[in-house]
Amino acid sequence: MGANAAHLKLASSSTAGPTVDLGDLLVRTGRGDESAFAAVYDALSSSVYGMARRVIRDPSRAEEVSQEVFIQVWKTAARFDAQRGSAKSWVLTMAHRRAVDAVRHDQAASNRDRKYTSSNGPDFNEVEESVTLSLEHEQVRRCLAGLTDLQREAVLLAYYQGYTYAEVAEALNVNPATIKTRIRDGIVRLRDCMGIEA
Amino acid sequence: MTTDLHTLLAPYSLDALEPPENTRFEAHLEQCPACQAELAGFQATATRLGDAVALTPPATMRSRVLTEIARTPQERPVVTAIAQRRSLRSAVPRMAAAAAFLVGTIGVGGYAIERDNAHEADARSTTITSVLAAPDAATTSKTFSTGGNVRLVASPAQDSAVIVANDLARLKGHKVYQVWMINGAGPKSQGTFTSSGTMIMHGAGGADSVAITVEPEGGSKQPTTAPIVTIAI
Repeated sequence: MGANAAHLKLASSSTAGPTVDLGDLLVRTGRGDESAFAAVYDALSSSVYGMARRVIRDPSRAEEVSQEVFIQVWKTAARFDAQRGSAKSWVLTMAHRRAVDAVRHDQAASNRDRKYTSSNGPDFNEVEESVTLSLEHEQVRRCLAGLTDLQREAVLLAYYQGYTYAEVAEALNVNPATIKTRIRDGIVRLRDCMGIEA
Repeated sequence: MTTDLHTLLAPYSLDALEPPENTRFEAHLEQCPACQAELAGFQATATRLGDAVALTPPATMRSRVLTEIARTPQERPVVTAIAQRRSLRSAVPRMAAAAAFLVGTIGVGGYAIERDNAHEADARSTTITSVLAAPDAATTSKTFSTGGNVRLVASPAQDSAVIVANDLARLKGHKVYQVWMINGAGPKSQGTFTSSGTMIMHGAGGADSVAITVEPEGGSKQPTTAPIVTIAI
């Protein structure tokens, strides 16, 4: 038991706390420092790849998009501005946009209709469950649980499935304005629950 | 349409807008500090959602990325000067260096990489530094939420102003940023740039303001869109 606890502590300290600030690493990356970039990669590759996998589904496509994201990070690191958000937020925002673009592009190219109707739409319970089950962060799980079902559904479909709010509205056969409101209320509630400064 | 632009902010933070709305909202965002502040919190929230589904990537991805970046040039926030007048063309290298100096030393938030260039820039630049060094030089800056900033240094005594645009978001659809000097006679084009640029404006003493609009490639004779920024001189 004692050994077990020590082991856990060691494991968490090796994954949790980079003593070097990610923002500093990005600034150094912006000056062409490849070792700083490698450290940025090591700190964020799981977040970027996991998010891309969730949104894109296809593992090789997710990997391809993740690689593109990190190359974009390398190319544009000098634009990072710590006053406008954290380094992780900068990278993941970029990554999510790319992942969503990839999904929409691929679906448009394959002529597949993403505009599900409520009758043939995805099984939201399944979507929700698969997301919730793999959530590493207890806080996120708990905060998602604090949303109303309708808010959670709208936020999850938009973020993890790459749906536009108009597509969410169509899938659920609900007024788009209602979906916008649900997304907004959902994010505000999540933000407050996570203790993120408004 | 004008009433509910703010309702697009939350879907925007999840990349859940259709392209036309996305464009419209980003244009609004640039002029809405309250939106920018709220967006930061929403994006931080979305980041937690992404982080929560982290998954270790294939080990081979790391070496591929590191190999790739080793041969990929970085986009430095180097200022590429756009000189509209022939006399300025010959001054382009000097201006680019001086602009790096300007960006790095005026105001807060300049990047360290640009400060590193300051010494040589300082030695070489003449035209721009004379404006910068003017005792009455006044600096105004504007940062855009979509990236980049614009700084204007004006010296009424020298009847000149220097404007530096640094790393603005690239425009889609063959559009450029166009700089205008505005006085009682109306707006007068000072030149265009795509992302970064610097230009010296003479006769600034008689101008009321400097504005930047988005125009078709090649620029317009007169502004055709509302300015994304207007700076009073």
